[in-house]
Amino acid sequence: MADLTRRAMLAAIGLGIVGTAVSWPRLTARDIPGRGEDALTITVFGTAQDAMQRQGLVDGFQKLHPDIPVRIVAVQGQDWGSYFAKILTMIAAGTPPDVVTTATEGTQLFASRMAYPIDEFVQRDAADMKEYFDDVHPSLIESFLYKGNLFQLPDNFNAANVFYNTSALERAGLERPNDNWTLDDFLDVARKMEGAAQGTFLSYFWTNRLWGGVVPWLYINQTSFLTEEKAPGGEWLWKQFYPNETPRGGGYLWENADALNDKTVESFQVLERMVSEGLAANPAQGGGSELVALFASGAVGMTPAGGFWVQGLSEANVGNDEYDVTYFPRMRGQRHQFGAGGYAIMDTSPRKEEAWQWLKYCVSVEGMSIAHSQPDSSLPRKTLNDKLYGAGLGPAHWQVFYDTLERFPDTGPFPAPPQQAAVESALIKNVVPTITDGPEGVRPGLETMQRDLEIALRSR
Amino acid sequence: MSTTTATTTATTPATAAKRGGKAAPRSQKRGRLLIWVFLAPTLIGLGIFSFIPIIGSVVLAFFRWDIITPPQFVGVDNFVDLAANPTVRVSFFNTITFVIAAVIIQLAVALGLAILVQSRMPDWLRTFFRSSLFFPLILSAASVSLIMAYLFNQEFGLVNQFLNLFGIGNIGWLTTGFGAKVVVLFVYVWQNFGFTFLLFIGGVSAIPKEVYEASSIDGVTGWRQFRHVTLPLVSPTMLVASVMAIISALQIFDQPYVLTRGGPGNETRTAVMVIYESAFQQLEFGLASAVGIVLTLLIMLVTAVQFQLSKRYVFYG
Repeated sequence: MADLTRRAMLAAIGLGIVGTAVSWPRLTARDIPGRGEDALTITVFGTAQDAMQRQGLVDGFQKLHPDIPVRIVAVQGQDWGSYFAKILTMIAAGTPPDVVTTATEGTQLFASRMAYPIDEFVQRDAADMKEYFDDVHPSLIESFLYKGNLFQLPDNFNAANVFYNTSALERAGLERPNDNWTLDDFLDVARKMEGAAQGTFLSYFWTNRLWGGVVPWLYINQTSFLTEEKAPGGEWLWKQFYPNETPRGGGYLWENADALNDKTVESFQVLERMVSEGLAANPAQGGGSELVALFASGAVGMTPAGGFWVQGLSEANVGNDEYDVTYFPRMRGQRHQFGAGGYAIMDTSPRKEEAWQWLKYCVSVEGMSIAHSQPDSSLPRKTLNDKLYGAGLGPAHWQVFYDTLERFPDTGPFPAPPQQAAVESALIKNVVPTITDGPEGVRPGLETMQRDLEIALRSR
Repeated sequence: MSTTTATTTATTPATAAKRGGKAAPRSQKRGRLLIWVFLAPTLIGLGIFSFIPIIGSVVLAFFRWDIITPPQFVGVDNFVDLAANPTVRVSFFNTITFVIAAVIIQLAVALGLAILVQSRMPDWLRTFFRSSLFFPLILSAASVSLIMAYLFNQEFGLVNQFLNLFGIGNIGWLTTGFGAKVVVLFVYVWQNFGFTFLLFIGGVSAIPKEVYEASSIDGVTGWRQFRHVTLPLVSPTMLVASVMAIISALQIFDQPYVLTRGGPGNETRTAVMVIYESAFQQLEFGLASAVGIVLTLLIMLVTAVQFQLSKRYVFYG
């Protein structure tokens, strides 16, 4: 073995030091483009391509605010939960963004811990904002209030409606159902579709998740799996922007498990019956990525979907005359569920004024038109939906997407308390056992769900 | 050894003797220093990326931390919560039963195929099987699981479509507890047995042919030959393969996460899934660390027991 001289040793150490110094930007990740720049950093849920598609929005914003540089950071994730986890990791790493895209799933999580209320900005710029609120349904605004403060301005939303395959309906000798059809009507349609179908066919396909899962069936029966209350506060908003509305309070509170009330049991019994009768699929887990192909091939008769699906079906070469949309049927009521999305300002952001300008621009007519040039989501501004879906791309009854809010004013967001991830997990993991163990299995399944929801709501 | 070193080595004992034999020879000091210099990159890497995080995890298990607010010391509360949480208990039970089933099947399939490939194959077919049976291991577990989820879909999956041809109705592979467990087990074993198979190929091919010839002359063939010749001689490989298979199976995450999300109910929820969900979905990093520590202790205990038991059944020739 060769001896190491003092000189060689010093040279090796020196080389090590020089190497470390040269690669320091890489080692500390300072060479990541945009890091350390004095720019308004905005995270979006999606791929780098999704971020690039927002360039038009950034360009439009910078025409108005040339002094505010903007950096869009795409955060990929399997679902909103993984997106939120990555935002939290950015915060832990000391590189929190200034603005985050979030949806109903994360509204209360961010509002309760890391978002900055925008009340002062909205009140200060009330004159500019009046036109926006005049065009947006109060139910959407209400969903972004938390304990009396407003945290986001909705820039997209999707109510869960029933998409149906027009061929399957015609084959069954049926016509478009009435807007106020009942659960029995729905089951009748499902049975007739099933009877007229050839080959592999399912009358109702659904996905086990918060949006479009069991919640629509609970809401139409005027129930839920969590108690629903309203927080005090929010008068400033209702008085100023919706003076003709009865004040709706300071936002939703979902604080207790409620899986065992009779109406919830009844809704799950309906689902159990549909599954055991072969009318409905055993709900798929995940995001329902297989659904487009199944619907496009005519293997599915009806499914819960929203305005966002028009673009998805168009990309799958499904003509807009091959399907149509209607409301969920009536049980005790016909309340619908929706999920909404928008931007939230981070509490840690040193650029709150610039962030507010971004929020304002994104919900302006220009901003919203640029951000949603394709029918990939219903728009909170009622007037913009005409252009988006009425230009020949949407199904025949595309008005259903927005009219859901007006026709059923009690329509609200799906339950998503600050412990949303734990609550969602407790819900979806118990749905399948509850509806697949026969009629006698429903109540025991819901008892387990109740227990798991109580644990989830206790989580910190 | 170089001349310089030899000379130095030759002279230093005298020098040391002059100093009362207390000081180490200069070349020995340099040699030791050299060892540390060469070890330094690995030790620094291990320190930064393994030891410090391990210590951090242990410390974190005694705190409540949600990333956003400062950590708060809670003593052993996380361990108490862990013991009281039915989901955590079920996940550990699932993990242990999964490990038992997966490791037994994995070792049996891998050893069986290794013996088959080594004994009754032409060379070209042997090469083909060696490569193709290892192939699933290089695929991403998440991608494989996604494809398997389509194949095992209750209504539209190819597996049920195929079974329908024989008059078998749709089976809820991913929507019943037993079905989901079977699918998770199948996907995991299918993807992971290739490595164990390669280990056994090495072990089986190292057995001298003469041993088989001698045993055949003595009338020992078939099952008895496998039981009394092959098995003892591959037992060292079996020990390595089983230790690695158990450690790997205890950490199962990808397959149940993608295929079933731990469902239906908690039927396929595993310990690592609980760590992920506690940390990144429920923001309970302390609880997640506590679960991680328990899992690590379990892995250490199982490995120690295995090495202890190996003294009885491993035959080193």
